[in-house]
Amino acid sequence: MTSYKNKLFSYIKRYTRIIILFGISCILLMPLVLMISTAFKPDSQIYDFPVRIIPKTPTIDNFSQLLDRFPLYTWNSVKLTVIIVITQMITATMGAYAFSKLNWRFRDSVFMLYISSIMIPVQSIIIPQFLIIRFLHLYDTHMALILTGSFSAFGTFLIRQFFLTVPDSYLEAARIDGANEFNIFFNIMLPLSKAVIATQVIFSFRYFWNDFFTPLIFITSQRLKTLPLGMSDFSTETYTYVGPQMAAAFISIIPVLIIFLATQKYFVEGVSASGVKG
Amino acid sequence: MFSKKRVSVTSWPVVAVFLLPSLLGLTIFVFIPIISAVGMSFTNYSGGPHFRLIGIKNYITALGSKTFIQSLLVTVTFTFWAVLLQLLLGLTAALILNSKFKGRDMFRAIMFMPNVLSSVAISLVFMLILDPDRGPLNSLLTAMGLPTSRWLAGEKTALSSIIMVTVWQNFGYYMVLFLGGLQTISRTLYEAASIDGAGPVRKFFSVTIPGLSPVMFLSATIAVIRAFQVFDQVFTMTGGQSGGGPAGATSVLVFNIYKDGFGQLRFGYAAAESIILLLIVLIITILQQTGQKRWVNYDIV
Repeated sequence: MTSYKNKLFSYIKRYTRIIILFGISCILLMPLVLMISTAFKPDSQIYDFPVRIIPKTPTIDNFSQLLDRFPLYTWNSVKLTVIIVITQMITATMGAYAFSKLNWRFRDSVFMLYISSIMIPVQSIIIPQFLIIRFLHLYDTHMALILTGSFSAFGTFLIRQFFLTVPDSYLEAARIDGANEFNIFFNIMLPLSKAVIATQVIFSFRYFWNDFFTPLIFITSQRLKTLPLGMSDFSTETYTYVGPQMAAAFISIIPVLIIFLATQKYFVEGVSASGVKG
Repeated sequence: MFSKKRVSVTSWPVVAVFLLPSLLGLTIFVFIPIISAVGMSFTNYSGGPHFRLIGIKNYITALGSKTFIQSLLVTVTFTFWAVLLQLLLGLTAALILNSKFKGRDMFRAIMFMPNVLSSVAISLVFMLILDPDRGPLNSLLTAMGLPTSRWLAGEKTALSSIIMVTVWQNFGYYMVLFLGGLQTISRTLYEAASIDGAGPVRKFFSVTIPGLSPVMFLSATIAVIRAFQVFDQVFTMTGGQSGGGPAGATSVLVFNIYKDGFGQLRFGYAAAESIILLLIVLIITILQQTGQKRWVNYDIV
């Protein structure tokens, strides 16, 4: 009797779980499905109800309407994200090495300065940043975004934490063998830290690919806009072109979606690491 | 007496090569700006050559201004609901997805996925879904015989709509943090509780919740700090530059900083507003640091 009851209970539990999860997943996926399906719908069918997931007469018209501006926005986003992520990795790994494996006076005080800057919200420094960029005659240039994005105290901190776990004896052995600090950095430290660097790369990529606030402040020229900034123009236009809007949104999420599906593990590790940031 | 190993001091040129790229960049674009922001907040600077020190006048103006107080209220309301719902949903999802079963990893991926997507793209889709006249959500509600809403266009519903979208996008992040926390709870504690005759409910409140307290505290802090900085969704979904929602219903703190600083070029005043934001974040961080020591149960971990 009891075993029958237990079995029934475990069945109910299992099915409730699946139903709840299925419901939540539908709510999470539905907007994305709608985005993709609307991107391929002609204007007249967008608000049809009941909503058709597969368009009645699929069209790529919405995408062709984007052709005048969006290829450039996409290229700007790709270019800037790649440059910023690479520069950020170079400055962060080098800084991390200085803070973990080199010995110099003031090291701990300078490091404290880095750490204390981690929690500063970007909005609290955006006005002086803007004025400095203007002073350097870099307003409305891609350089403005590259310079403000390429230095990450948090990235330096995260990579330093990993470098600290590499035993000093490895480095001492190399030094005795005549390696200088640059050899050690490139040939020992970087190869050992592939995983932490990959995590940081993926997180920075996602951040700058999606970044909206900084381009909004520093960019006004049409030809310099990034995807998020170009997309936001849609929301302020008097007539809303919903079809092209969804096509643009779809284009903008493809790269992140692919990288997410391919490297979920790093994303999860990145979240756990960002826990340190709090 | 002295340290056993003689630590060799690296020569300065070598240190400089490694350190300077990040130190110079951070000095120019973070350290100097934060000091200037504080300094500027005590001036009436508006971009021109003539400006002067005006003491704490900007702060007095801000705290006496209806718009600013309104934006603080909107931000606090947003923060309260967004944080509460994100943490509750995140915890629930983590508890369900912690046990092993078929399809678990897929469900975890689905829950986390919205978090990696552009909030502007997400906002555009929700503007379609929540369209008050022809949007699918209102059509669905009508078809089911339920009352419809103006959603983003309604004075009373605009903020709730933005909270909904934010929770939709972000609760998966907290789920991942909680899943990490659940991993740290030792299995022996559950076994010990079983031996003592504790049921599932008792185990949840006596083992799971105390064991999760460090990560809960951390998640709450991260969630609050992020909520105070909300901007993208508000800007995109409720009106762009001239926005702030119907009757300023979604005019959050950062939106005010943006509008006063870059719309009206009141740099001094906007700097003061941004320093108030910084102080709020600072206070929350300090509360976390001190509160953690008092409330968090580390013995169990």
